[in-house]
Amino acid sequence: MDCNTCDSSTAIVINQPTVVEVTLTITDKAKEMLSGAFGDDRSNALLVGVLSGGCSGYMYDLQIVEETEQDCQELVIDGFRVLVPNATSHLLDGIEIDYVDRLMGGGFKINNPNASSSCGCGESFA
Amino acid sequence: MGTIKLDHYVLILRGDNLLEFIDGISTNKVEGSCTTVFTNKNAKIIDMVEVIEKEDFVALVGHKLYKDSVISHISSRVLDANIQIFDITNSNNVFFTTNKSLTVDNATIHESIIGRIMITPKDSEILEDMAYDEFSDYRVKNFIPYQGHEIVQNIHPLACGLGELVHEAKGCYVGQEILVRMRSRGRQGKELVRLENPVEDATTVGKTHSLRIQRIQN
Repeated sequence: MDCNTCDSSTAIVINQPTVVEVTLTITDKAKEMLSGAFGDDRSNALLVGVLSGGCSGYMYDLQIVEETEQDCQELVIDGFRVLVPNATSHLLDGIEIDYVDRLMGGGFKINNPNASSSCGCGESFA
Repeated sequence: MGTIKLDHYVLILRGDNLLEFIDGISTNKVEGSCTTVFTNKNAKIIDMVEVIEKEDFVALVGHKLYKDSVISHISSRVLDANIQIFDITNSNNVFFTTNKSLTVDNATIHESIIGRIMITPKDSEILEDMAYDEFSDYRVKNFIPYQGHEIVQNIHPLACGLGELVHEAKGCYVGQEILVRMRSRGRQGKELVRLENPVEDATTVGKTHSLRIQRIQN
């Protein structure tokens, strides 16, 4: 295989979607559960990200972080710092973060108006 | 038999966690060099690709018919991951060969489900001594589906003989739910068969037998 051209050739341009100024909501139940997770320390932030993969192509990724190296926009919702990466802001604008109290399949859920479909477990969307 | 040039593209991926990335968007378990299938959310084929792991990059080799679809499928899922895609199709040729002793400088040899393929620099001189009809007959005899014939974009991998590339136990990937459901309920709808000639609606015609995708008879 001739890969001599790899370093000198131009990478295929991956069209980056336009960065959207995100608005999102957190339900009362989700706030209650986040309060338990954060404790009194509100310096940490909830990072709401999207990863490639899952049955439908994209997977939600929720993490509690101090900071992140990702280029993010920061929202403060009822005292909670929420970070949304600009690279995936177009996929996350308008979402509602909910918490479902069930023994099986329970936990944080994201209701996403941008999703045309989602997989059965609710973690993946397209 | 012999050697024939294939109408294939060669993409190079560089960056972090490349195999994991490909694993997450294709049907086979991708832990190294292998053959896998990109499917869309409806489990329809985008392309079957050869994954070739090299020291500092991963090459993807598939059929030119579907190159744009594959680039679109991959690039829309890069998001903010450190992954770059290069198209080196114009500086390489892809051959299928049954000649195990054939050696070419700077060739990459890969064992695919269709057999041995070689990716060589464009200026390498290789004697093509297999006609397309012979390649088709080889595929019919060995029950091997191929792009543009059995492997087309309106069909799912189980229906065109690519079931062995749909890993039964791996985690989620695009189209997985549908393929798992088809398997668990025994409802894949169609299957690839080899029949004695003459065969109506054959996808590949061989000398004595042909391949056809037909509805499963219950």
